[in-house]
Amino acid sequence: MLGSFLCKALLASCAALTMIVSASAQEFDYGSFPGYTLRVKLVGGTQYEKLYTRIPEWEARTGAKVEIVSSKQLFDLDREVKQDIATGQITWCVGSNHTSFAPQYGGLYVDLKDYIPAEELAKYVPGTLASSEVEGRLVQLPRVTDVSNLYYRKDLYEDSARQEAYRAKFGAELAPPKTYDELKQQIVFFADPPNLFGTAFTGKDEGMSGRFMEILRANGGDLFDNNWNPTFNSPEGVAALQWFVDIYRAGAVPAGTVNYTFDEIGQAMAAGQLAIDLDWPGFAGFYSDPASSKIADHLGFALSPVGSAGVRGGWSGSHSFSVTEACDNKKAAASFAVFLTDDESELMEAKAGNLPTRSATYDEVIKYFNENGKTALAEMFVIWEASLADARTPPLIPQWIEVSNVLWPQLQAAILGEKTPQEALDQAAAEARTILEDAGVL
Amino acid sequence: MIATQLETSWQRWLIRIAVFLAMLTLTVPGVWVVLTAFRPNIEVMARPAIWIPQDWTLDNFRRLFGFSSAQQGLPVARYFLNSLVISLTSTVVAVLIGMAGGYAFARYRFKGKATLFLAFMLSRTVPGVALSLPLFIIWARLGLIDTSVGLIIVYLAINIPFTIWLTDGFFRQIPVDLSEAAQIDGCTAWQAFWKVEFPLARSGLASAAIFAFLTSWNEYALASQLTRTTASKTMPVGLMDFTAQFTVDWTGMSAMAVLIIIPALVLTFIVQKHLIAGLTFGGVK
Amino acid sequence: MISTINTLPKAAGRSLAGFFRSPRAVPYLLLLPGIVVILSVVLVPLLVSFWTSFTSYNLTRPETLYNFVGLRNYQRLMGSAEFWWAFGRTFLFITITLNLELLLGLGLALLVNRITWGQRTLRTIMMFPMMFSPILVGFQFKYIFNDAIGLANNALFDLGLIDQSIPWLVDGTLANISIIAAEIWMSTSVFAILLLAGLMALPKEPIEAAKVDGCNAWQVFRHITLPFLMPFVFIAMTIRSLDVARAYDMIRIMTNGGPAGRTELLWTLMTRTGYQNSQMGMANAMGYVSIILSIVFTFYFYRKLTAARAFMGGAQ
Repeated sequence: MLGSFLCKALLASCAALTMIVSASAQEFDYGSFPGYTLRVKLVGGTQYEKLYTRIPEWEARTGAKVEIVSSKQLFDLDREVKQDIATGQITWCVGSNHTSFAPQYGGLYVDLKDYIPAEELAKYVPGTLASSEVEGRLVQLPRVTDVSNLYYRKDLYEDSARQEAYRAKFGAELAPPKTYDELKQQIVFFADPPNLFGTAFTGKDEGMSGRFMEILRANGGDLFDNNWNPTFNSPEGVAALQWFVDIYRAGAVPAGTVNYTFDEIGQAMAAGQLAIDLDWPGFAGFYSDPASSKIADHLGFALSPVGSAGVRGGWSGSHSFSVTEACDNKKAAASFAVFLTDDESELMEAKAGNLPTRSATYDEVIKYFNENGKTALAEMFVIWEASLADARTPPLIPQWIEVSNVLWPQLQAAILGEKTPQEALDQAAAEARTILEDAGVL
Repeated sequence: MIATQLETSWQRWLIRIAVFLAMLTLTVPGVWVVLTAFRPNIEVMARPAIWIPQDWTLDNFRRLFGFSSAQQGLPVARYFLNSLVISLTSTVVAVLIGMAGGYAFARYRFKGKATLFLAFMLSRTVPGVALSLPLFIIWARLGLIDTSVGLIIVYLAINIPFTIWLTDGFFRQIPVDLSEAAQIDGCTAWQAFWKVEFPLARSGLASAAIFAFLTSWNEYALASQLTRTTASKTMPVGLMDFTAQFTVDWTGMSAMAVLIIIPALVLTFIVQKHLIAGLTFGGVK
Repeated sequence: MISTINTLPKAAGRSLAGFFRSPRAVPYLLLLPGIVVILSVVLVPLLVSFWTSFTSYNLTRPETLYNFVGLRNYQRLMGSAEFWWAFGRTFLFITITLNLELLLGLGLALLVNRITWGQRTLRTIMMFPMMFSPILVGFQFKYIFNDAIGLANNALFDLGLIDQSIPWLVDGTLANISIIAAEIWMSTSVFAILLLAGLMALPKEPIEAAKVDGCNAWQVFRHITLPFLMPFVFIAMTIRSLDVARAYDMIRIMTNGGPAGRTELLWTLMTRTGYQNSQMGMANAMGYVSIILSIVFTFYFYRKLTAARAFMGGAQ
């Protein structure tokens, strides 16, 4: 009897001990750096800054102080970082980064796998973490992810008159589109200029290149092949570009859309002028807030459509934090980066409608929204989480921005009817080839 | 007394209407921005457009200064101070240096004069993108990045060609006899300048000062490059903080714009006094 | 004996110190601070960027600074249709905006000069557009010309003048008109205030004498006011032609040279090449070719300026 009691006691304490040991092995050690000043450059702007209110907490935990050396919007920050590289003045430790920009910076940032234990890294969404690598090095720790999905006007879709008309015209039920062809159909169907348009798309800069890339990939094509030959002027590419040409020519999108950036589309959707919007999660908060949006009560969410190859384009990118090679206290810097992307930080970001980068946060935030009566947002997160599986970034090469800059003017030329899609894409491919040859990639 | 009116009252009214329309065109786009600062975001995108705000609010300003829970405020007071210090200092110094240079060109004949004048002008033909990176590198070596002094020196270089030309033009309008007359009466050249020529050139110096100030106050490209933190960031750079990656915070940006515009307006109004034509050459005939 | 202008007597001593103490040094000393500032801020960066235009300097790979490629950048430019279109468009842009701004500014100055009551307020209002930073003007006009929710289309709809949105920032001609309109709004005040100051400096006697002789308003303007103003006109033109590059920030926000390069000007092209594509060497090569444009304008106006001064019998 005593023996079995002892055995049980031993087992129990063994179990307890393992639990304690594993619990502390689970918890990341933020370290202690009293008297150290960590210099950081963070991305500024209303949607990014709430997270920084947590900084004093990290300071209290580690005894270090954080000095925000620079706070700018992403493009200006990128320019600043490039200047710092050019002058060799890397006097800071942590910098805000983005998967689209990261490949340009060469050896500026360290491989975080050397500074963060694997168990901690395992808590992040694997696909997101994989996108954060450049040439196998984890140069950034992702903070929030953007994947495009569909926002749509529930009131328009549930309107019986429109449902009738749609059924009569296409012989199918009016429901959020599953394919790009359906999407095009519905965009043209809903359009009633000048008060209502089917949708709008970012018609310039990397936005245009990205939207094109999405449909290209959904059709089974890609921008480059394995040897970096440009392949976007393939039939899949032409079909993708034709998609834009068709809806523009049909007048189903505002004529000015070739000049729109994300914020103009956001404003137009919130003003009730668009029926559908393929856009980023960051807009969810904006669209569902009655103080800033007219469509707050009629907002629906759906997964982005698939293309002719049956896959999703899944254009995505992540904002992130990176640690510089020149940093004199990389452990502190890594600790800071982990802190700003830990469970609590991620939950804070998710509550604002951003897609978190830690797997566990999804369940937490869905639960939070359901408990707080924001079932619409909870529903959104379920859908958004499903789309992570298809998330892919633009090509992670330093020349991506440069290639994009020769691509989007050609895309615009085709959309505006100055050239045929094949001509436009061939021209862009030729220019892209020159860029890659100059860079020694081809 | 000969009537100095060359036009009939009908013509006078025409002039007044023309001025009114001109002023309207000049102000309407700007007034829109000012009004937007006082309205909620939802009104901004309304169709049909809402001209006069239906829902006056000071929320945008509150957000700016950090009195709202949604976000941390901007260090607006700090930006304002930086802008003020940098703009005023560079203006005053630029006007002084410009005055000296303008006087030299207006009053003296010397070797290399035309070349020097052209050189000053041509210094402004160098395109910004060619200048900005090397300038950044040099300033970084000298430790002038993110300092008010660094920016002031650069603004001096931008404004000095300007102030030299303007004062040159105005000094030429002042007859040389005035200074000579004063010197005959016993003043030294230096005294004659300050007593006689300087007051008469006031309108020119005032316009030079206004231009230099407004150029510095509104300058963005170089400021965003040479500043980093609140130690030297100016208001226009702070303005761009409102353009995040996705949404342009129109109302916030307008609120910030109002803060940028008002001091400029006030200062301009004050300096106006010296633009008044007080010139009568009655003393010298 | 005092002459009408300070032609300086030959210096007494031939040494440098003697030179600086002599009256001949006065103008040089007066100009010295200006020269020092310009040299330090402009000359050295100028030389550096001139060097880089002969290299394949890439911003993110600093070692390329020493990669001499000779005239390759310039050769590519010569054959680049895109560059020359931008060059031509920029030339046209500058010509059109400067002339329109001059005319409108002159008209505005003449009108305001006539009004006696509330001049000070009027002058401040006249300078209102100058209070706006170019980026703010960019956002403002981008919003005004937005085809879906912009003020321009809204106003035209409300007035019943159109029933279809006008794509201000998309159509080739309209987009260029839009940026010209924005630039004119931003900078006409500069001309207006300079010319107004010139009008105020106008000596009264010649005008009064002319009126006594029976000249009408137009004759007074044409034969007295205008020639007197010409030096101011040319100063203003020169200043503005060099300053017009400030419009870059505004254009970048409104159209960024698009769509499809329809509003691509030298400045948007250069900055994108240099900072976004990181091709600094090439961007600087573009810069030096475009300097030719600026130099042409500057020389032109300078010659006109000296001619106008000679005509007025002013100091040389």
